[in-house]
Amino acid sequence: MTAADLLLMVMVGGLTAYALLGGADFGGGVWDLLARGPHAGDQRALISGALGPVWEANHVWLIFVIVAMFSGFPAAFGVIGSTLELPMALALVGIVLRGVAYVYRAYGAGAAGPDHWWGHVFAVASTVTPFMLGVCGAAMASGNARTDDATAPLTSAFGLVAGGFAVTVTAFLAAVYLCRDASRRAGTEHLVDGLRRRALGSAVVAGTLACVLLPLLWRDAPVVAQRFATRGVPFVMASACGGVGALVLVWRRHFTAARLAAGLAVAGVLWGWAAAQYPDLVVGQVSAVAAAAPTENVRAVLIAIGAGVAMLIPALVLLFKVFADPEPAAGDLHR
Amino acid sequence: MVLAGSVDLARGQTAFSLAFHICFAVFGVGLPWLLLYTEHRWLRTGDAVWYALTRTWSRAFAVLFAVGAVSGTVLSFEFGLLWPAFMARYGGALGLSFTLEGFAFFTEAVFIGLYLYGWNRLSPRAHWWTMVPIAVAGTLSTLFIITANAWMNVPRGVREVDGRVVSAEPLAPFTTPSAPPQVIHMLLAALMCTGGAVAGVYAVGMLRGRRDTYHRRGLRVGLITVLVCAPLQLVVGDWAARVVETQQPAKLAAMEALYRSGAHAPLTLGGVYDGVTGKVRYGIEIPDALSIMTGWSREHVVAGLDALPPAGRPNALVVHLAFDTMVGLGTAIIALSVAVAVAAVALGRRRHARRPVLPLGRGWLLAAAATGPASVIAMLAGWEVTEGGRQPWIVYGRMRVSDAVTASPGVGWAFAGTLVLYLGLSTALVLILRRMATGGPAGGIPPEVAAGPATERVADLVTDLVTDPVTDPVETARGRPPVRRNGVAR
Ligand code: HDD
Ligand code: HEM
Ligand code: HEM
Repeated sequence: MTAADLLLMVMVGGLTAYALLGGADFGGGVWDLLARGPHAGDQRALISGALGPVWEANHVWLIFVIVAMFSGFPAAFGVIGSTLELPMALALVGIVLRGVAYVYRAYGAGAAGPDHWWGHVFAVASTVTPFMLGVCGAAMASGNARTDDATAPLTSAFGLVAGGFAVTVTAFLAAVYLCRDASRRAGTEHLVDGLRRRALGSAVVAGTLACVLLPLLWRDAPVVAQRFATRGVPFVMASACGGVGALVLVWRRHFTAARLAAGLAVAGVLWGWAAAQYPDLVVGQVSAVAAAAPTENVRAVLIAIGAGVAMLIPALVLLFKVFADPEPAAGDLHR
Repeated sequence: MVLAGSVDLARGQTAFSLAFHICFAVFGVGLPWLLLYTEHRWLRTGDAVWYALTRTWSRAFAVLFAVGAVSGTVLSFEFGLLWPAFMARYGGALGLSFTLEGFAFFTEAVFIGLYLYGWNRLSPRAHWWTMVPIAVAGTLSTLFIITANAWMNVPRGVREVDGRVVSAEPLAPFTTPSAPPQVIHMLLAALMCTGGAVAGVYAVGMLRGRRDTYHRRGLRVGLITVLVCAPLQLVVGDWAARVVETQQPAKLAAMEALYRSGAHAPLTLGGVYDGVTGKVRYGIEIPDALSIMTGWSREHVVAGLDALPPAGRPNALVVHLAFDTMVGLGTAIIALSVAVAVAAVALGRRRHARRPVLPLGRGWLLAAAATGPASVIAMLAGWEVTEGGRQPWIVYGRMRVSDAVTASPGVGWAFAGTLVLYLGLSTALVLILRRMATGGPAGGIPPEVAAGPATERVADLVTDLVTDPVTDPVETARGRPPVRRNGVAR
C-alpha cells in the first residue's frame, strides 16, 4: 500500500466520523424543520441542547477531510473546485448559516431578530447542506462534473436522489441518537415516542430511496456500480445488518445499542461507496495516483495526522463523556 | 478581458472573505488568554466581578468563535474554488501547515464545547483548565496558517519540473525566513485587536456613565493588553520589514513608494504614488532615511520599483498608503502607551496608591475606545501590505495570480452572494454583541461561589452589579447562570 492509499483510508475514516457525528447534527436540524404539534417546542429544545457542546467539534471533521484532500491530492481538489463549484458553494452557504443561526439563536437573546427566525434559518440550512454534499458525492461517482456547466450535478436524477438520500440518512441518525437523549431525562421522556416513530419512519424512507438509487447508479455511474457489485458487497451486508438491527433495537427501546447499529448502517454505505470509487476520485477525470502530492509530503501529512489523532482522541472522549448524560440538577431548575 | 474580470473578482472575494474571517479569528486567538486571566482571578479571589466578566466574555467568545469557524470553513473551500491551479500545484507543499492547523481547530472546538457548556459539570478548577488548550491551540493555529502565508511570500524548498512540483520539503513553510517575524507580528496583532476591542467596549460604557468596578476592570484588562503589545509590535514590525527587504525587494519598494533604485534612498511619509511618473505627490520626504534605516548608511543601495518591468510591479499607491496607515496607527497607540504609563504612575503617586492608577478622564476614555478600531484597521492594512505587495504573484516568483485563478464564469455571483451573506450576518452579530456589551454582567451569582469563603463580599458586589435591565433578577437570585437558558431553550 502506498502512502497515498493510506491517506485515502484516513480520509474515509474522517468522512465516516463526519457523517456519523456531524451528519446527526444536520439531521437534528431536519427534525427542527419538521417539528409539528404540541411538543414541537420541547423537541426543538432537545435538539438544540444536544448540539450545543459538540457541533463545532463534529464540524471540524469536514475541514479535516478537505484539508487532507488538498494536501494529499491537490490536483483532485483543483478539479473538484472547478467542476462541483455550485453544489459546494451551496453546501457552504448551508454550513455558514447553520452554524451562525445556531449561535445567534442560542446567545442572541432576540437582539438580532426573533429567535424563531434564526431557528428557521438553522433548520433549512441543516437540510440544504447534507443534500448538497450528497449531490457532490454522486457527481464524483458518475463523473458528471463539468467546467462548462456548473449546474450539471444538480440537474441529474442520480444527483438529486443521492442528495435526498443523504438528508434522510442524517435525519435517521439524528432521530436514533435523540431517542437516547430524550429517554435519559424525566423532563423529556414524553418526546421519546415521537422520536421513535421518526426514527422508524426515516429508516423506511432511507431504505426506499436506496432502492431507487441503485438503478440510477447503474445507469449514471456504471464504473462505480460495477465495482460496487463486487468490492462493495461486504460493506453493504454490514450496512443492511446495521439497518435492520437498528430498527429492531429502536422498536424494542434499546436506544444505546441502536445508536451503534445505526452508525454501522450508515458507515457501511459510505465504505461501500468509497471502495467502489477507488482508485478514482472523480470518475473519468482524476484518479488518486494522478492527483497525489509528492510522496514525502503525503508522508509528512500522515505523520502529522497520526500525532494529531493521538492527541485528539482523548480530548474527544472527554468531550463526549462529560456531555453523555443530562445536566446535573443545579442546571435543571428552570424546567 | 473576461479573464481579467475574473481575476479581479476572485481577488476581491478572497480579500473580502479573508478580511472578514480574520476580524473574528483574532478574537479566537486573543480572548482565550484574557479569559484565562479573568477566570483565574475569580478562582483566586472569589470576587463576583471577575466571574461576571468571564461569563460575559465567554458568551461573546462563543458567538465570535462560531462566526470565525464557519467563515474559516468557507476559506478552506474557497482556495479550491477560486484558485484551483494554485491549490493543485502547491497544496502539497502547504499540506503540513494546513493539516496541523486542522488539528489545532479540533482541539479548540472540543475544548470550547467543554468550556462553554461545562460550567455546571466541571469543578471550577477543571473548568479553568479547559480554556488552556483553547488558548494554546488558537495561538498555534496562527502559527500554522501564517507559515503558509509566509511560504507564499518566500517560497523555498520546492523543486518543480514543467510546472509540476516533483519534490517539496515538508517543513519548508516553517523554515522560510519570513515565517518567524510574520507569526509573531500576527500574534501581537491578535492580542492588540482583542485588547483594544475589550477596552473599547468598557470605555464606551464608562463614557455613558457606568463607572462601576465591573467596567473599570474590563477596561483595565483590555487596555493593558493593547498598550503593552504596541511597542513590541513596532520592534517585530521592524524585523519583518528587514526580512522583506532582503527577500522581497519589490514589496519593500512598494511599501515605501520608492521608484528609483540606488543609494541615498529617501523615506516618504504618506502621499499619493503616481505609477506613471514614479513620483509621490503630497508626501513628506526625509532624504536618505530609508538607506539609513535599512543599511545603517546613506550609501546603502535600496532596490526601487524601476528594477522591475511595469507589469511585474505591485500597486504601490495602495500598498504604500496601507503601510503608512499601519505604521501610523501603531505609532499612535505607542504614544498612548507612553502617555498612559506616565499618567498612571503620576496618578498613583498622587493618590498614595501602592500601584499605578489608570487615568479615567473623558479624554483618556475616548483614546482607549479608539484603540480597538485602530488595531483592527492596522491589522487589515498590514494584510493589504503583505498580499498587495506580493502582486502580481500568488506564490512569489513562481506562480502569477492570473495563472492561478478559476476560469469559472460564476465568480461574480459568488462574490455578490458572499458580500450579501456576510454583511447580513455581521449586522446581526453587531446587534447581538451590542446587547451583550450593554447588558452588563451576565453571570449572575455563581453557584460555586455561594458556598465559598467570600460569600458576604460576593453578595455585596452582586447587589452593586445587578443594575442592568437585561439580567433577570429572579434568575440571578436563583443563582442560575443565564447561559443555560440560552444554550437549551428557545
Ligand atoms: C495591530 C496591528 C498592527 C500594527 C499596529 C502593526 N502591524 Fe505590521 N502587520 C500587521 C499588523 C500590525 C499584520 C496584519 O499582522 C501583518 C500582515 C501580515 C503579517 O504577518 O502581519 C503586518 C505586516 C507587516 C509587514 C509585512 C510583512 C511581510 O509581508 O512579510 C511589515 C513590514 C510590517 N507589518 C511592519 C510594521 C511596522 C514597522 C509597524 C510599526 C508600528 C507595524 N507593522 C504595526
Ligand atoms: C495562509 C494565509 C493566506 C493565504 C493562503 C492567502 C491567499 C491569498 C490569495 C490566493 C489571494 C488572491 C491573489 C492575490 O491578490 O494575491 C490573496 C489576496 C489577498 N489577501 Fe491573502 N492569503 C492569506 C492570508 C491573508 C489574510 C489573513 C488576510 C487578512 C485580511 C489577507 C488579505 C488579503 C488581501 C487584502 C488580498 C488582496 C490583495 C490585492 O489583491 O491587492 N490574506 N490572498
Ligand atoms: C488564510 C487562510 C485561512 C484559512 C484557510 C483558514 C481556515 C479556517 C477554518 C477552516 C476554520 C474553522 C475551524 C473550526 O471549525 O473550528 C478557521 C478558524 C480559525 N482561524 Fe482561520 N483560516 C485562515 C486564516 C487565518 C488566520 C490568518 C488566522 C490567524 C489569526 C486564523 C485563525 C483562526 C482561528 C483562531 C480559528 C478558530 C475560530 C475562531 O476562533 O474564530 N485563520 N480558520
